[in-house]
Amino acid sequence: MKFMIIVKASKESEAGQMPSVERITAMGKFNQELIDAGVLVAGEGLHPSSKGARVRFSGDKRTVIDGPFSETKELVGGFWIFNVKSRQEAIDWILRCPNPHLGESEIEIRQILSAEDFGPALTPELREQEERQRAQSAAQAQQ
Amino acid sequence: MRFMMLMIPKGYETAAPGTMPEAKAVEAMMKYNESLQKAGVLLALDGLHPPAAGARVTFPGGKAKVTDGPFAGANEVLGGYWMIQVKSRAEAIEWATRCPAGENEIIEVRQVQEMADFPADVQAVVQKYPEIRPHMNSAT
Repeated sequence: MKFMIIVKASKESEAGQMPSVERITAMGKFNQELIDAGVLVAGEGLHPSSKGARVRFSGDKRTVIDGPFSETKELVGGFWIFNVKSRQEAIDWILRCPNPHLGESEIEIRQILSAEDFGPALTPELREQEERQRAQSAAQAQQ
Repeated sequence: MRFMMLMIPKGYETAAPGTMPEAKAVEAMMKYNESLQKAGVLLALDGLHPPAAGARVTFPGGKAKVTDGPFAGANEVLGGYWMIQVKSRAEAIEWATRCPAGENEIIEVRQVQEMADFPADVQAVVQKYPEIRPHMNSAT
């Protein structure tokens, strides 16, 4: 089972403040444990929402809104993708995670949809197409 | 430059576990995914189960605390994401506007941090640890 582990933004991350060397060292150690256990699939940090944008959809109309976005607690600061045997295993890993921010932090654990979850909506043709796209994107990412 | 297009479907914060999109919506989205892929910009993508099936971990007073979903007070949750490789922020936004998204959906476009974005002392620390990205490539 794959899970997306979403580290929510904080006042500091939204201000573009870099974490201290101590915190990066602690996080590096944690990442190393995840790699050694074969759990870590991917991990990235995002620039503050002030550099981002949102697109709203209404019929054929598209509205682009420049960041920053006010709901700091709901914003994504970064993420990991874990490959684990259960939801509990994903939670157990996060309980051992160093606090990602200086003060309060929130980490959300969400299971990733697999082809089986879609049921009949994912016809054999669409499924074949999906698998081909994933393989090609993975090859792209390797370049 | 790498960007994440974060899909925020309004209403997903209260969706029941096992909620799935309709076949028509899946097909439209797969066509869009194919266009991203054919243009050579798509690096990865995933959809997420509703938050009702998830959990949140907070660290009050430095101690980890688990709260099961759905999350009270949450009015924006992630439904999925695309990771794309493009030449500019404008190109990333342009791709987001082409998505066959519905009235209730917002796509947030956010740049991914690269090693070169970090100050020298941070880079020195990070380089002591193995690169995470190759794992992503081999596993997707």
